[in-house]
Amino acid sequence: MSDDQEARITTLQTQQSIMTRALVAALEGRWQGEDSVEAWLYALSPDLQGQLQPDPPVIAS
Amino acid sequence: MSAELDTLDQQQALLTDGLRQMLEGRWVSFPSLQADIEALSPGIELAPQPPVLTSEAGPEPPAYAWNPDADMPGQVYDWTCSCCATEYVERGAGAPRGDDVYANREAVVYDVGYPHNVNSAYGLMDGSGAELQRVLADHAGIETKQGWLSYDQAYAIYSVTFGLGSGGAYYHWVVFAGVDGSSLVIRNSAWGYKGIYDRIGRDDFNRLGPWSCIWAY
Repeated sequence: MSDDQEARITTLQTQQSIMTRALVAALEGRWQGEDSVEAWLYALSPDLQGQLQPDPPVIAS
Repeated sequence: MSAELDTLDQQQALLTDGLRQMLEGRWVSFPSLQADIEALSPGIELAPQPPVLTSEAGPEPPAYAWNPDADMPGQVYDWTCSCCATEYVERGAGAPRGDDVYANREAVVYDVGYPHNVNSAYGLMDGSGAELQRVLADHAGIETKQGWLSYDQAYAIYSVTFGLGSGGAYYHWVVFAGVDGSSLVIRNSAWGYKGIYDRIGRDDFNRLGPWSCIWAY
């Protein structure tokens, strides 16, 4: 395996970890703010900053 | 190996986009979470149950305790309906002026402003109900909004909160106490006036409009 391939695998593993945190946030109703879907999405894709128009689900309480 | 990594990169991009679609409220159709899942897993059979979005949700219930079943005695004077409705809202929201409904109503009349804001010639002078909003805020601390509402708007609002309103062709103020099936529940100090009792449906609402509606928030 080349260094480039190892680096890409490491990146993918990090992304999967972030993805999992994002899914947990979605399930637990944290769509915006700290430890939220929005926050983890920016971690995955920083260029989305300022581009989103959130319209999250209404959380029953 | 390189091809597998390319595939994983593409899948990760779809997953990331799926998060974006969920966050922005696009659950089905295209672009959407559904579309991303179908791209990740061609041929997958889905049974989407999209959630209610923040943009689709109605108003939040207000923080007041509301009793929709308080008594509504008939009005004694034909011009005091707005004050009767206001007094009911105060009492129903836990801020009665006293034990005597008729004395309460008289106090509301003077708080609204007799004769310049409410009188025997015209009833409530400002048909929007702005003076009623002021009295509700000043006496009972009930903050309200006002709007000229369609039936569907009124139904959505009064399914979660309470208030009062008047139809232009009705020329009468009633309390909106909630909903029952497809009808609005009202508390009416003029029982039977223009064929309306304690419910008002879409047809009657439209017949008696346009409606200035006030609601607690």
